[in-house]
This record gives sequence, structure tokens and C-alpha cells, in this order.
Amino acid sequence: MRLAPMARYYLHIRNGGGYSEDPEGQDLPDLGAARSAAIDGVRSLLSEEARQGQLDLSGSIEIADGDGNILLVLPFSEAVELRQHG
Amino acid sequence: MIERHLLKLRARDTVSPEEEQAIRDSIAEVRDLPADTVIVHAGRLLSFSVLLLEGLLCRYKDLSDGQRQITELHVPGDFADLHSFTLKRLDHNIMTITPCRVAIVPHEKLEDITERFPHLTRLYWFTTNMDAAIHREWEVSLGRRTAVSRIAALFCEMKLRLEVVGLTEGPSYEFDITQTDLAECVGLTPIHVNRTLKELRERRLVQFRSGRVTINDWDGLATVAEFDPAYLYLGKLPL
Repeated sequence: MRLAPMARYYLHIRNGGGYSEDPEGQDLPDLGAARSAAIDGVRSLLSEEARQGQLDLSGSIEIADGDGNILLVLPFSEAVELRQHG
Repeated sequence: MIERHLLKLRARDTVSPEEEQAIRDSIAEVRDLPADTVIVHAGRLLSFSVLLLEGLLCRYKDLSDGQRQITELHVPGDFADLHSFTLKRLDHNIMTITPCRVAIVPHEKLEDITERFPHLTRLYWFTTNMDAAIHREWEVSLGRRTAVSRIAALFCEMKLRLEVVGLTEGPSYEFDITQTDLAECVGLTPIHVNRTLKELRERRLVQFRSGRVTINDWDGLATVAEFDPAYLYLGKLPL
């Protein structure tokens, strides 16, 4: 079941590949759901990079509303937990 | 009304005037549906198949966590579920992506066709085999292709399928699907699709904007996709 759309959030990407504007946005119930979608998206991007043998965690997702106000910035590093020892 | 369906069938083999009439007679009803309407629910007993006349439809399955996989797209002229004639209950749902016009073909009419028109029956068998071939190609994409190659392959496939039914304009075609729907076709997230479309655009291979695909470099796109149109069985070959 899909939840009833409540607000449109635009998830723009800023990373080594430059800036990708989200032209369509996604209808999501709240900012928490938009953050979850951003985390999901970052993990998807990083999984492809990992397959190719390099990870760039320096990017971020800018979550904006319909008026272009940035509501939240999610650094890629917040989407994954890195463990290198132990 | 069934012109695009006839174009699709005739791309493979001749359809006689009697067969054409039998197809026209098999339609019980035409329905206009808004976007995002589920036409067929998995598990329900079915007594008709759906022939798409206008718009874009998909077959899909949902997982319990809300993830959705679209398993095939249908273009005008396709039966979305000719296989429900033999399966009776489907293991997947069928939904409109854009506003659609569909023809409802009762299974009893299809049974009549199988009894009176063996050649047309073989042609319909061919179309379900073609759906299976498309599923295999998507399986290869989802299992093995990179993000950029998956999307490139889908754009190549849609170009050729829409061309058969007269819905392309040169290198361009209407493809009124959201990035979220596209993500659900290729097993990625909308963010990943957005980034990948940017890459395809920057490499001057293809542009996808406002519900329209414009292919700038067919050979380049097909190379990135490892696209071999053999699985679409486009040549004429009498059955």
C-alpha cells in the first residue's frame, strides 16, 4: 500500500559527479520519510561505487521543498556506518 | 481502435481480414482509466484479458516493506495479460502508469479464437513468448547490468517497441513515466536514477525530460546497454 501523498520533496545530489537537480520530486508524508528516501538513495549510489572498487563519501543530498528552500542536508557519510577495525 | 495491436501482430506475420474481424469481435468493452489504477489484482480469479489501446501499463509485484518491482512495461497494442487466459489467477498485479484506454477481451472469446483460428492462436502464443523473452532480458539487467547500462537498455527497448506501433518521432518518443516508476523498473532508487540520467545526458547518449525520451546517439546508447534487439523478435517470420 502506498501512503497518501502529503508533500513534495526534492532530493538534489551533490557529489564528485557534480550537482544533479531532482526535477520531479517525490510525494512523501513528512521530512523523516524524505530523509529515509535520501538514505536509501545514497546507499544505492554507494553500492554501485563499491562494485566498481571506489567509495566517495564526500557528497550530500539536499532535501528541498517546492519553493526551493533546503530543509535538510544529508551527508553521504550519515547513510552508512563504516567499520575498518575490529 | 485495434490498429496498434494489428501493427504489432503484422510486424511478425500476416493477419487475414477474417482474423482481424475475430479480434474486433472479441472485444466486449472499452474502458478509460486514470493513471495509477490497478486493473488486475494478483490472486483474483479472472475471466478476461486486457488489451492496451492507449497509454502505458505495467506488471508489478510489491514486497512487504513497500518496495515495488515493475517486471514489464506495456505499450499500446500489447495484451497486458494474455497469459491470464491459461493461468486464470495471476501472480502479479497490473496497473496503469499514465491514463489508459484498454479493451476488455473475455476469456470465452479467446477460447473461441483458439477453436476457430489456429493461425491467430499461434500468433498470440508468439506474443506471450515475446513477453517471456522481455522478462529474461530484464532479469539480465537486474542481475548483471550496471545502473547506466540498465537504463540505457530500457530506453533502447522502449524505442523499438514503440516504433513497431508507430509511436516514435525519429529519435524521440513520449515516455510519460516518473523517475520513481523508472527506478521501480530497473531496481534502483529515484536518486540513483536521477544521477544515472545525468550521466547519460552528459555523455550525450540520451535525454529524458518531461515525459519524453530523445536519443542523441543510438549506437553509443546501444553499446553502453549491450543492447541486442534479437530478444524482441522484430523480423517477419510466418507462423
